[in-house]
Amino acid sequence: MSQSRPYSAVDGKAGLAILSNRFQAVVDEMAQALFRTAHTVFVKETQDYGAALVSLKGEVFAAPRRSGVLMMIGMPMDDAIAAISHDVREGDVFISNDPEATRGMCTHLSDVFLWKPVFHEGELVCYAWSFIHMTDVGGRTAGSIAPSSYEVYQEGIRIPPQKLFREGVLDEVFLDTFLINTRTPEQNWGDMKACLAALNTAERRVRELIGRYGRDRIVRGIDEVLDYAEAQARRVIEHVPDGTYRFSDFIEADMVGLGLIRVNLAMTIAGDGMLLDFAGTAPQVRAALNLPTYGKDGHWMLITGLVNWLCTQEPEIAYNAGIVRPMKVKIPKGSILNPEPGAAYGARYSTSHKVCDVTIGALAQAVPDELPATDSGQGSILLVSVPDFSTGRSKVSVIQPIVGGSGARPTADGVDGTMVILNFLRNVPTEMIEREMPAIVIRRYGLREDSGGAGRWRGGTGTIIEFETRSPYTTITSRAMERYIFPPAGRRGAEPGTTGFTTLNPGTGRERDIGKIDILELGPGDVLRIGTQGGGGFGDPLAREPRLVRDDLLNGFISEKTANDVYGVVLDATEEIDEAATARRRREIAAGRGWTVPPEFSFGPAREAYHARWPAGLHDAIAAATEGLPGLKRQLLHGLISERVERRLDEGTVPDTAAVAAIADEVLHLAGGRHG
Amino acid sequence: MVQSSPRYRLGIDVGGTFTDMLLLDETTGDLKSAKIPSTRPPEDAILAGIERFRDHDGVDPSAIGYFSHGTTLAVNTLLERNGAEVGLITTRGFRDILELRRLRLPKANDLLVPRPVPLVPRRHVAEVGGRLDAEGHETAPLDCEEIVAAARDLAAAGISTIAVAFLHAYRDDRHERQAKAWIAEALPDLYVCTSAETWPQQREYERTLISVINAYIGGRMLNYFATLARRAAELGIAARLFSTKSNGGIMSVEAAASRPVDTLLSGPASGVIGAAFIGRQIGDDHIVTLDMGGTSVDMAVIDGEVPYSNENTVGDFPVVLPAVDVSAIGAGGGSIAWIDQEGILKVGPESAGAVPGPASYGRGGTRATVTDAYVVLGICPPSGLLGGEMPIYPDKAAAAVGAIADRLGVSLREAADAILQVATANIYAGLVPQLARRGAEAADFSLLAYGAAGPTHIFMLAREIDVRRVIVPPAPGLLCALGCLVADLRADFVRSLWESASTLADERLRELYAALEAEALAWLENEKVEVSDVRVLRSVDVCYEGQSFEVNVLLADGPLDVATVVESFHAQYARIYGYADRKAPARLLEARVQIVGVTKRPELAARPEPARRGAPPPSSRRAVYEQGAAAEAQIFQRADLRPGDSFAGPAIVEQYDTTVYVPAGFTVSVDAWSNLIGERAS
Repeated sequence: MSQSRPYSAVDGKAGLAILSNRFQAVVDEMAQALFRTAHTVFVKETQDYGAALVSLKGEVFAAPRRSGVLMMIGMPMDDAIAAISHDVREGDVFISNDPEATRGMCTHLSDVFLWKPVFHEGELVCYAWSFIHMTDVGGRTAGSIAPSSYEVYQEGIRIPPQKLFREGVLDEVFLDTFLINTRTPEQNWGDMKACLAALNTAERRVRELIGRYGRDRIVRGIDEVLDYAEAQARRVIEHVPDGTYRFSDFIEADMVGLGLIRVNLAMTIAGDGMLLDFAGTAPQVRAALNLPTYGKDGHWMLITGLVNWLCTQEPEIAYNAGIVRPMKVKIPKGSILNPEPGAAYGARYSTSHKVCDVTIGALAQAVPDELPATDSGQGSILLVSVPDFSTGRSKVSVIQPIVGGSGARPTADGVDGTMVILNFLRNVPTEMIEREMPAIVIRRYGLREDSGGAGRWRGGTGTIIEFETRSPYTTITSRAMERYIFPPAGRRGAEPGTTGFTTLNPGTGRERDIGKIDILELGPGDVLRIGTQGGGGFGDPLAREPRLVRDDLLNGFISEKTANDVYGVVLDATEEIDEAATARRRREIAAGRGWTVPPEFSFGPAREAYHARWPAGLHDAIAAATEGLPGLKRQLLHGLISERVERRLDEGTVPDTAAVAAIADEVLHLAGGRHG
Repeated sequence: MVQSSPRYRLGIDVGGTFTDMLLLDETTGDLKSAKIPSTRPPEDAILAGIERFRDHDGVDPSAIGYFSHGTTLAVNTLLERNGAEVGLITTRGFRDILELRRLRLPKANDLLVPRPVPLVPRRHVAEVGGRLDAEGHETAPLDCEEIVAAARDLAAAGISTIAVAFLHAYRDDRHERQAKAWIAEALPDLYVCTSAETWPQQREYERTLISVINAYIGGRMLNYFATLARRAAELGIAARLFSTKSNGGIMSVEAAASRPVDTLLSGPASGVIGAAFIGRQIGDDHIVTLDMGGTSVDMAVIDGEVPYSNENTVGDFPVVLPAVDVSAIGAGGGSIAWIDQEGILKVGPESAGAVPGPASYGRGGTRATVTDAYVVLGICPPSGLLGGEMPIYPDKAAAAVGAIADRLGVSLREAADAILQVATANIYAGLVPQLARRGAEAADFSLLAYGAAGPTHIFMLAREIDVRRVIVPPAPGLLCALGCLVADLRADFVRSLWESASTLADERLRELYAALEAEALAWLENEKVEVSDVRVLRSVDVCYEGQSFEVNVLLADGPLDVATVVESFHAQYARIYGYADRKAPARLLEARVQIVGVTKRPELAARPEPARRGAPPPSSRRAVYEQGAAAEAQIFQRADLRPGDSFAGPAIVEQYDTTVYVPAGFTVSVDAWSNLIGERAS
């Protein structure tokens, strides 16, 4: 065989796998270097850090798949790059935590980003990128994040994109200024050094790669791996039937006095692309729940559900921003998903998780057998603070992440006690809590029986934690408690899961149902019991194999009543399945329920009652009436109209679109007029 | 232990495919080896090997004075989930300890991630009253009737093995001991083990799990060890039998039968011990070990010392017992090459495994694997493996790789070449982050290859990583068996302190370590083995208050005091993280003691520094193709190579248990111990 030039595998169809692997090695090594040298709780327990390689266009072309925040691939770096593009030199390191100046790369001030340009022989090749969630960046509360904050200025010091190092020289004045504004300066500097270690590792490795394969091959490879991931993603999307799929859900902001906040999505699949249109989503709020996406396509906090779906369908997908290229986004300005500058962002996780639920709900209508039922929706961290009476200071500790069960999957039960989406969360050993906090006694930490939505596949059960305090002035705080009002939905004829609950002093004369916790003070002898949500079920409960129902019953995951009344499974005296009685019972249940074709979603009575009173059209009408107004005005008007609509509903009339528009005109002057 | 001048030491590694045996003649320093296909039950292969040594080499079994073996029975029983039905009795309110685990799921970005299934179904977990607080004070008493009733219910459900695990038993296990005694009295046929007697470390899930695993695999291991001991004795073996441990040490099979959980990770550990032994011989203690088999590459970093980790996993389960720190990378000789829907060549993660194996093995495999690529490119000897015992079918390799070539639109050898390059990139991508995790800089290390495919692939990997040199030991396929042969007696002990340095009294620290040391020495005493030296390594895990990153601080010999421990912690913290806050309060977590009973080191005859002899005549030449270039490789037989020989790539060294491929750009010399030492050609 004669060839003028030898065949080179890295140029051929093997090349992409080779380069893709080598890029992956760089970011995995970055993540390891960062993890090894960082030392704060956020890094170790909640994996709140990230590492990536970024193209000159601002697309992440490699990101870790197993460690750190996994959605880096959707972080938009373009505006951060543009902000400093006039002066990029070898040895520079840039820093920012500002959602506004980076237009959605940063999404709250606690995530501090560092990035470094990688040069080869004087020419810029790509950027190495990293971030870490800092324990504190200043602001009105320790830890910087409080749901009740309502403007960004309360949430810490802001750093617009700027140089931390100029050609290898640290800007100490800037660094000192930043650190002095935070409550944890040494830890923060330690975190920054961990990021720097990761960036330097990446710089060295990318240069080695260029030495090995040549600069042209690497530069071309960056485009190719992005295109490759895009092609893989598009192939998966292409098998989804074209159409527009609608879904909405509600952020429960009652603990900050804001009631239900609607997230509304119309997902249009056309060929191998999709559009996520969030028209009809509620305005931004005067609380730290705003999610600053700047309406960017494929934004990382909008795509968790979709990326999980893509990676499930195509486990070998190249993990980079090519995946999110097909995901176009349209979000009304001034909405909670695209707030105007100045809003508070700290606790935007709840909002992001609700978007995840909504995207899964919409997509599930198109490809029902590829997506799970809704999960518990709550990723809350329960903190306890107990005073030390000798020093007067308080000791703060995490009691547990308060999460519930996963939604059932199309071919499997949900995971009990935790969520597939928040797969990285770890619980805290009871022995550790009681050792750290002698005033706290954990009385129970286990699964919440009978809480998973019944279905052919059962939703994952929630959990129950119950503890007692022996100390006066014990303070409990929690953020991001969710789904105390509407349970996780069931799918395809399955039952919904269960809502969360919080009970103070259960089983005593002082028992009280206290709902979501913002801040709660307890005294000696008080007992708090928290139950988390069970996930929604999947498929007709009467189609669940009786053997599995029997196992669930004998193992106490479900009660005898559920086995009998919902699953229609009857056991005989020897605990074996009574086939005849089971068949009979199942026929009875089927005849007695109101459907023959299984409903795609079961939301449960609370949400059904809410929709009966507040149909989607009413939400849409209010959204239409407030469209295009500046953020604050829209927010105020939205509230004023909603109040008046509530009054009409109380009077028994449901206002139509025209009536809502009329109400809007009536109250407009209270918000300073349309143009005022 | 009195024996009539035993001559031989026997090391045995029972693997999934082969049982490797290495016999050292202590009078001559000569090594004999055998590779026997593994059997079920596993002792059949071991006994067959001993018979082979007896019949072929005239080795009298009674002249074997040392018998140490590693078995995968424990880990397989756990992974295949065919252990005993276990019941668990635990503290009221914590029935779901095994269900909840630590919550974290094994896979990310997978909506269908399997729900981990606990070893004990929920209906076999009983809650009972009784409680101690974190200081070990009783806040609620145990109730004998309740405990016996719980055990009776479990027994009625067919359970014969019970684990008892109560909160804070790491601090004080009197409730566990009491419960065990009551059950033993009422139901003497039940086997009961408690969490604190198995591993008294704080963290209830991990501790409970260790006792549950011990119970789960216990019955089967007890049977196995008893049968092995009986049948070995019948064959005339008078030596005591030892089993290897996850910590790289050995223990008597009697000890192993009561703590089989200690053997879970012994297989990979033995290889690293063998590698460290090779390193010690040649004065190299900075070694990255790579054991490449059919489905994975196991790697470890020897950085002066054999590395340990307390955070290991087996399948779904965390195992916090100290084990040699080995990480698996999902790429091996059996990894399957395939073309994805975008037309891109991929290798793995699917593996052809042992069955059907690579196409070239002729056992029914049809899909191209990394091994088939070796065959197509001329790297693997066409005459077969294991000295010809295992034939190779080049036509089958060509057919399998040819299917890939057709789809890629390239020639057969180009396709095979591409498969190897992708596989190398896979291993690179797994290896380099693991080095970073350990803070190891590749340039400071040698790469040592073993396993069936390690020596075949090691130079291709070394081409991509800037390492000091490559080491291929004389018998790479028998390194685990060598590890069994040279291991020391080794056991770990732990007590959880979890106390602030500011409130911890020196006296308590000393008492605690005195108790741990006494326990350790008692263990060694109980093993009744003649050792040449006893070492007691004391260490403590320390962290700053409020942080969760702990550092293991090695304690100097002599009397302990808290202030010195804290100072050592600051210093070590500064080494890792770049700074230490000496004002910040420190907290002492786990107190650890490891005892090492140094066994008599086998004397492999010392050799003089070899004289440079230049290149030996090759036994033949063969065309190879790799990295887009055809070349004529010299073929050497490993048995013909002598210390002092040296040669340059492209070359292939054929030997019984593997094939070493040396590409162009490397030179190889044979050292005094017959290791191949590869370096980049200058």
